[in-house]
Amino acid sequence: MSPLRRFLRTPEAIAGAILLGALVAMALIAPLLFPGDPQAIAGPALLPPFQDWSLPLGTDRLGRDVLAELFHGARTSIAVGLAAAVAALAIGSVVGTLAGFAGGLVDEVLMRITDAFQTVPSFLLALAFVSVVGPSLGIVVIAIALGTWTGPARIARAEVLSIRERDYVASARAIGMHPLEIAFREVLPNALPPVLAMSSVIVAAAILTEAALSFLGLGDPNRVTWGGMIAEGRAVLRTAPFLSIVPGIALVLTVLGVYLAGEGIVETTAVKRGLS
Amino acid sequence: MSLLTVSNLSKRYRRGGNTVIAVDDISFHIEPGETLALAGPSGSGKSTIARLVLRLIEPDAGGIEFEGDDFLTLHGAALRARRARLQMVFQDPLAAFNPRATVARVLDDPLRIHGIASRAERPRRIAALLERVGLAADLAPRAIHEISGGQRQRVAIARAIATKPSLIVLDEAVSALDVSVRGQILDLLLDLQRQERIAYLFISHDLGVVRALAHRVILLDAGRIAESGDARAVIDAPQSAIGKALVASAPKLKRTTQDAS
Amino acid sequence: MTALAAIRDLTVTYRRDGRAVAALKDVSVDIVAGERLAIIGESGSGKSTLALAIAGLLPTTARIEGHIDWFIRPSSILGAQAPPSVLPDISPTRGEIGSSVAGTPPAALEIGESGGDSAISPQVGEMSGRTEGSAVERQLRHLRGGVPLLGRDIGFVFQDPSASLDPVMKIGKQIAEVAHTHLGLGWPQAYAKAKTLLERVRLPDPDSALHAFPHQLSGGQKQRVAIAAAIAAGPKLLIADEATSALDTIVQAEIVGLIRQLVAEDGMTLLFVSHDIALAAELAERIAVFRHGQLVELGTTAQIVGAPAQPYTRALLDAHIGLDAEPLLNRAGLTL
Repeated sequence: MSPLRRFLRTPEAIAGAILLGALVAMALIAPLLFPGDPQAIAGPALLPPFQDWSLPLGTDRLGRDVLAELFHGARTSIAVGLAAAVAALAIGSVVGTLAGFAGGLVDEVLMRITDAFQTVPSFLLALAFVSVVGPSLGIVVIAIALGTWTGPARIARAEVLSIRERDYVASARAIGMHPLEIAFREVLPNALPPVLAMSSVIVAAAILTEAALSFLGLGDPNRVTWGGMIAEGRAVLRTAPFLSIVPGIALVLTVLGVYLAGEGIVETTAVKRGLS
Repeated sequence: MSLLTVSNLSKRYRRGGNTVIAVDDISFHIEPGETLALAGPSGSGKSTIARLVLRLIEPDAGGIEFEGDDFLTLHGAALRARRARLQMVFQDPLAAFNPRATVARVLDDPLRIHGIASRAERPRRIAALLERVGLAADLAPRAIHEISGGQRQRVAIARAIATKPSLIVLDEAVSALDVSVRGQILDLLLDLQRQERIAYLFISHDLGVVRALAHRVILLDAGRIAESGDARAVIDAPQSAIGKALVASAPKLKRTTQDAS
Repeated sequence: MTALAAIRDLTVTYRRDGRAVAALKDVSVDIVAGERLAIIGESGSGKSTLALAIAGLLPTTARIEGHIDWFIRPSSILGAQAPPSVLPDISPTRGEIGSSVAGTPPAALEIGESGGDSAISPQVGEMSGRTEGSAVERQLRHLRGGVPLLGRDIGFVFQDPSASLDPVMKIGKQIAEVAHTHLGLGWPQAYAKAKTLLERVRLPDPDSALHAFPHQLSGGQKQRVAIAAAIAAGPKLLIADEATSALDTIVQAEIVGLIRQLVAEDGMTLLFVSHDIALAAELAERIAVFRHGQLVELGTTAQIVGAPAQPYTRALLDAHIGLDAEPLLNRAGLTL
């Protein structure tokens, strides 16, 4: 059975795949469906949804097309979520592998640094970082990664600690392989599966953190973000609640989709292991 | 001059609050082309000695002289370079290879690390190594977990001889193999010893195999040498308590007697 | 010779990566009550699959054809509360419990049909005087199921005692639990039984061992505990699957001696699964040689060792390197 078909066996995985597929499709067709600046004025201000079919989801306080903003916002969410997760996983597995494999003082220093990062709430860390350095997409990604790499680091270290005692690591040392090559070529790839199992949680957390930063006005000002849209709608929450509800639903469905798909992947790999 | 001289080697472990003496003041030597067996019950320190000799762990006291140099003072790049001369074959060949590795990769590593062959030349060298240990060259692209246990142990031997070592530590290297495969692997080891004059430090709990393969034997008990000497002389007439117990407990096949109950 | 179990045309197939791999092919063997039978073979011979099939431990994904018929005397199943060593070793009355591991019709029918010799019901009637009514019913349900219960009727000792013992449960509890579950003993009696068992497997200082955790014991001691747990319910059949392979020869000889003694004392039938023909020959009365999932040869130990009929058996015997073997060094011309 192909991995894809095995993946699509559980209903959760199918739901997750559909949600993520829709999200990716939105992000991909956004510039085709809504060319031009989604932040440009498209019609009268505060037009409710389903009134004017050229503006199906209505407009916001400044008369911007909500549907166009939603589509372009998907691009930001995906970009930030993936980039931050990749950065967090990369930093985490490298730090965890070095700490676990080197042991001794290196382990001690790296893990105390990890502790220091872990004790600061990741959102506060991101908030502080962005307010000091200034909001832009790249900075937001780094800010989020700074608060989330510690989890992968701890898991990678625990895994490396057990792998480094195996015979094949001793065998690699016995043939004279350089310790760094052993750490990153022999040990790290075998320590990755449990670390990667965390990726869905990290992606979802990154998307939510990005939305929260934008909500507080610390997102990239040149990009549409769902968090920013919710913040925009807050001022007119009583008269035009849809302005906050629509991006809110998009956010919930995205996070849900990421979780479900992540669960599906974990299930798939578990089944695969069970069979072999 | 001996190939390997181990003098007064000791190693202690701290386990919980207790100190366990794994290896206690052990001295021995191995001559070029010789097989020295270390035999003893579990916990007698056989495997610890193997790992000390290979510098996979560091001793608390004692000296190791290998090919005329103080092996314990080597560090970093110098130690890694010298490892080419001193190789190891493990008990479980599946555990001794990266689970993601292919046959070609595990044989490529020593050739690359020690600069034995250029990148272009290596596939040919890998094929030659496979043939040397009695395997088909087309096994190279296969994954380690796909091939049989006997083939895997041959690959492990090929990897060990890739760097032309003068000493190979065989840590229970034939204990996990099926008996029919074991005979072939022993023949291969003897053939290599005859042709390349490789010395073996042969670690085993199986006195039958030790007696058949080794020139000399050291019987270990609780980290100390209980008895040593010519393998056949020691095993045929053990003097120490542990030697007598090991000989008495070895399963014996009485093929001539018809009464076997 | 009365059979304890008759294995008929047993074929076990595993599915691996979408392909069917036969681990056992058309195997028929009788296990004689009270005998010590060794199953020997190399890796892939199907010897462990056979042990697991007999114990009903095969994974659900395995496809099983053929059947195993059990001839366990009802007294031994129903009277399990009595200490096994004092069980009257008896009665030609043979409750024929036809059973099917898979495929064949439910065993209850076979029991009903064999009513001709009406072996079962009178026995139950007699038993009800001794055991609780509910216990009898439970036993009956079990009889209808047809397959003897692992833990009570079959004791199983695995190769790796660390894997079969619960690492976070005290040893006394692990053994007492077997006695509690299968013999219906109260906890104090079950613990007393556990202590007796630890003495029987000659664990040094059984009192403190009751309160020890598995990791505090050596490999040989753990295997002794595993054996104690396996025989706690007084099983008729003890299966040792490579039970000594992870141990050094000295401990191996001790454990083999212990198994031999316990089997004799309790009148158990022993199925000794091993890759080592020499070890098997020292312990077993009969040896079954397996290769590639098929039974190659079955005979008394003297026959198999002294006059093997099959070339494969001879090859296995020749491959044994004993303490009297001609040194390979001489043959290779490598004497220094």
